[in-house]
Amino acid sequence: MSADGMQRKQNTIRLHLGMEVKEFFRKITEASPDRPKAMEYFDNFLRRIYCDDAAPASTRPLIGTMCVQVPDELIYAAGAVPYRLCNGSSTYDLCGAEFMPAKSCPVVRATTGMLHAAQINLKEQLAAVIIPTTCDQKKKAGELIASMGYKVHFLEMPSTCATELSRNYWQDSVQEFTLELQKITGQKITPARLKKAIQKIGAAGRAFRQLYNLRQGPLPILSGVDAFLVSNGYFLDDIDNWTAAVEALNNELIERQKKGTTVGNKNAPRFLFTGSPPIFPNFKIPMLVEEAGGVIVTDEACSSTRLLYDAVAYDEEALYDMLPAIADRYLKPCTCPCLTPNENRKRKLLEMIDSFSVDGVIYQAYSGCHPYEMEQMAINDMLAEKKVPMLYVETDFSKEDMGQLTTRVEAFIESIQSRKRRKKI
Amino acid sequence: MNYFAGIDVGSTSIKIAITDEVNQLIAAHTAPSGSFFHKNARDAFRFLCQTKGISADDIAYVVATGYGRKLYKNAHETISEITANAVGAYRLGKPATVRTIINIGGQDLKVIALDEEGHISNFTMNDKCAAGTGRFLEMTARNLEMAVDELGTCHGAYGGIPATINSTCTVFAESEIISLLARGGDRGEIIAGIHYSIARRVARLAKRIGIKDTVFFDGGPALNQGMVKALEDELMMAITVPENPQTTTAYGAALIAAEAYFSREKETHAA
Repeated sequence: MSADGMQRKQNTIRLHLGMEVKEFFRKITEASPDRPKAMEYFDNFLRRIYCDDAAPASTRPLIGTMCVQVPDELIYAAGAVPYRLCNGSSTYDLCGAEFMPAKSCPVVRATTGMLHAAQINLKEQLAAVIIPTTCDQKKKAGELIASMGYKVHFLEMPSTCATELSRNYWQDSVQEFTLELQKITGQKITPARLKKAIQKIGAAGRAFRQLYNLRQGPLPILSGVDAFLVSNGYFLDDIDNWTAAVEALNNELIERQKKGTTVGNKNAPRFLFTGSPPIFPNFKIPMLVEEAGGVIVTDEACSSTRLLYDAVAYDEEALYDMLPAIADRYLKPCTCPCLTPNENRKRKLLEMIDSFSVDGVIYQAYSGCHPYEMEQMAINDMLAEKKVPMLYVETDFSKEDMGQLTTRVEAFIESIQSRKRRKKI
Repeated sequence: MNYFAGIDVGSTSIKIAITDEVNQLIAAHTAPSGSFFHKNARDAFRFLCQTKGISADDIAYVVATGYGRKLYKNAHETISEITANAVGAYRLGKPATVRTIINIGGQDLKVIALDEEGHISNFTMNDKCAAGTGRFLEMTARNLEMAVDELGTCHGAYGGIPATINSTCTVFAESEIISLLARGGDRGEIIAGIHYSIARRVARLAKRIGIKDTVFFDGGPALNQGMVKALEDELMMAITVPENPQTTTAYGAALIAAEAYFSREKETHAA
């Protein structure tokens, strides 16, 4: 492509991203005028990244990650900074559509599209792109990304977490990853550095779990869309700044809880969101749910709760104990539908439905995301047995199905509201 | 002196071009189509001849084109607007070689691919509905209580990020525009949003048949600078807009008229 053509492409991408983000914030400020003040930090951060081309703050090497399964602790310990590349913009989805199948996962398409379109900027900044071998599309996209000139490392992941064999396999894989990281950054991962990294992420996890717990209360104090904004900030933000911002949000929410300030109606139907991950700026389904009068009180998504819910537990400050502890933290509690069997996910969902007093489940599958599409049946059957209503939505990043989806979501919420009313009588 | 005329009877306006024997454009005129195509076309033709001092007898050959071409009874022959557009644009694009034509009309949208010699190699148009056409712009102007020709200036004066208009359907888009207005949206922001939504639609259509440089943009909406800018952004390339984008198809029809006339004469002489 000519220099002029490249320049024009960059300009158009910037314009489209600007339009997407502007539309996003217009909608959420309209939908909830009384959002917590502390949300401003996350709004501004994402706006800067998407609209102002803000470069990552760190001067240390950036390691791009394409999945929640990458142990970030190791990246920090090797003197680098993780940068989660999973993308949710329809602009980059269209860029990716130029070389990926029409029926592929939009997250993978958008991520690949972004790496393709932004080659000039990102290729210099990213020391490597780490791709866990979870779903087929990420794996094959890895080959595409490597062909674009990025340094790609495949982090081999087993297809189950239930066996001793898989556990050993994963630990070896993580071990190899530490060697690879040291090669990339030229820094040794020492027990002291690793301990610091575990503490750093531990602090972020504590703030995140506090937020998670606050949302269990009987009053809806934070919209699900805002919660997704918070977790999406974690993808790209400086971890210490992010942790401080979450702590500030928690404090404000505690105050609001005392005063009884809620987002929307205090009796709004409560939803658990699961399935393909909402990634900024595509929060289409969560937004529809909350515009229709529901509130998403929690989620089981790899772009949110699964990021930081679990903690690393080790006994000795030695690599032989810390490394397996880190590996376990990433494999054992994993509820990704790439794993077979995936009983963990069912257990986790039931536990959340109970502890968050959930009225219904919203299950999103991106068209082309086969693992979530396939697992929908099993989850649906399980929930039907427990008499928990579930709405299954198959969609992508485009806005063309909005009209139809609005009607479906509204009808689902109305049916839950009338059920709640009947219960009261 | 023999003159040749091309009459493009479109859904919104009638365009007339008169050329001389060496294919120079002598006169051009645009008038509203109204409801009585034949009468309005005839009147417009007479008006143009009168003002330019051309006697109707000097018009050797007339070719009608456009959506209402069959309704105009005084033409020697008719030709589809796609062929006429291709001939006119290829000629007007000289010295550059036009390979892609984008035409936005009153109620359709066309992308025509030409080969090196100016022959049509492929074309595509919107089907069924008026989404992303001139009608869409007229509807926008009406909702914003302004004239269609003010849209471009209003877009130009607004420097910020355009609003997002999700619906391509004219009816749904209208309700989106009204709700944006009700929320106090800036007019320029909304207009820019409309221009980009049309441009995206055009770009999608154009990508289907492949876009080659030089890209020529004509039809009434090409007079709108905002539309031109949006289209350049969406296609990610520079586009050429002729001086009189509305009359390129009529001009093409006049060129075809001249060619038909001379080839017929040759046949007569040969016989």
